[in-house]
Amino acid sequence: MARGGDAFQAAGIRVVGLAFLALVAALVLSWPGFVAVAAATVGGVYGTELAIADAPLDVAAPAVAAGLLLSVELGYWSIEERGGWKGEAGDSLRRGAFVALLAAGAALVAATLLALVDAVRTTSLAIDLVGATAAAGVLVAVLVLTRAQSSSGS
Amino acid sequence: MRRTGSPRVLGYAAIAAIGLLGALALRQPELAVIAAPFALLLAVGTRAARSPDLAVEVTLETERAIEGEPIPVTIDVSSERAVDRVELLFELPEGVDVADGSRARAIRLGAGESSDGSLAIRCARWGVFDVGRIDIRARDLLRFVTWETSVERTHRVKAYPTPLTLRAIVTARETQAFVGSEVAVVKGEGIEYADIRDFVPGDRVRSINWRASARRQGLVVNERHPERNTDVVLFVDSFADVRLGEHSVLEDAVRAAAALATRYLERRDRVGLVGLGGVLRWLQPGMGTTQRYRLIETMLETGVEPTYAWRDVNVLPARILPPKALILGLTPLVDQRFVGALEDLRGRRFDVAVVEVDPVRLLSPGRSETDRLAFRLWLLEREVLRARLVALGIGVATWGGGDGDTDLDSALEGVRTYRRYSRLAHA
Repeated sequence: MARGGDAFQAAGIRVVGLAFLALVAALVLSWPGFVAVAAATVGGVYGTELAIADAPLDVAAPAVAAGLLLSVELGYWSIEERGGWKGEAGDSLRRGAFVALLAAGAALVAATLLALVDAVRTTSLAIDLVGATAAAGVLVAVLVLTRAQSSSGS
Repeated sequence: MRRTGSPRVLGYAAIAAIGLLGALALRQPELAVIAAPFALLLAVGTRAARSPDLAVEVTLETERAIEGEPIPVTIDVSSERAVDRVELLFELPEGVDVADGSRARAIRLGAGESSDGSLAIRCARWGVFDVGRIDIRARDLLRFVTWETSVERTHRVKAYPTPLTLRAIVTARETQAFVGSEVAVVKGEGIEYADIRDFVPGDRVRSINWRASARRQGLVVNERHPERNTDVVLFVDSFADVRLGEHSVLEDAVRAAAALATRYLERRDRVGLVGLGGVLRWLQPGMGTTQRYRLIETMLETGVEPTYAWRDVNVLPARILPPKALILGLTPLVDQRFVGALEDLRGRRFDVAVVEVDPVRLLSPGRSETDRLAFRLWLLEREVLRARLVALGIGVATWGGGDGDTDLDSALEGVRTYRRYSRLAHA
């Protein structure tokens, strides 16, 4: 947040604090929706900082993606375990390893995308192209999700 | 199985959408880079999830137990497809809890694998309980989709009341025709010595009292009291119950009735049952082990059903109340209708005794002056009811329930003493 200036740093710390509170509330009250809110808030602060700093492509983005995914996964996992379930031996260890693998995979995907963006970032059109592709990707994901839900209902 | 999206779906979709829109709005590709793994996982997770094919079996080691006794339960789960996590919640009805193990289990199943978990349940009180409902939730590896269902593998568990120790019981004033353990008032063939009389032709030689005959210079024979059985009808008041936490006067009454029935049946008495309340239940007097189980199983169905109907003993079939039977009422003395029925029976010359299961220990007088006054008036009303019964020659024993200061034996001793003196007064 140092890149955004003192004023942004002060405001950013407050917002991140709020995100942390949202995460704590999600875990304490078992409100899974707040996990995403906390992650989106932190992501928003990061994006705003990048916009203010107007810096070249941030190489820390894959780490941020992995960190966010890790925190979100751990948050959901924590809420899922709230039922007092008696699991099998080694269950937590296996799940922990899988979540770590997911985070590593997220970092890899993000790094690949970042490299791709860096490679084609010659004109502003390229950025728009990446954004539009990503937006289309979201739409496809939503469509896939809808189809999956409707097929399960039948 | 019902397929639903987990909270992750919405969360991941929101993060991905916000990230991608933010990337467009702020013209920062890093946000799209962050959002991409979320979108990718969301698409893969929802698409790759396959419905599990689960089979669940519940086995109870026994379906009959004494209240408080642990009953081992085995839950066997198998799946044709691999499931990363299956959550099993063994639903238990009110009055049944877990004695050992956990009723919430999470397991992982490979394709074609099965897993059997065990726990022990315990019926906190007597009664009939349907157990075997299991709520199942299966999750895929990425945990985006859950499948939920409930399976009913119902087993009917009968929890019998804890046996109470009884050293002595209230005996009927008059005996019946069958052989039993009660010494009859009449004379006949038996063990207990009654009297001597002059020998008459036809008397057995073994009955001759030779010492007395030598003194009288004529043959005299011993007369004896025969051992006969008695008829006992247990009258359980189910008009009202007073409950505080785990303690209930109706449960104590049934517990006492079960103990009394067992004790009477051991003496070869015939025991019947009448549950007088919202639902009228009766069981014709009988004897033996079969009758014991019949009685207890009838008692297990006893519960309070609200009614405003004035039930009296006229609705009972005549053979439920055999002549010369001892009617033993078990009541908290809360409902006038039950007291009226007992008075009615006494009016019909039945031998009646009452075990009052004291509800006062479960109640508090209240905080306000009005509450305390009402409580005192209620106590006085109870005194009036008790006095009405005593005035009719009905012995009333006050028993403090399973956790009271007075045990059932001591309470019954009070009734025996009363009946002894009332018999003398009657004589």
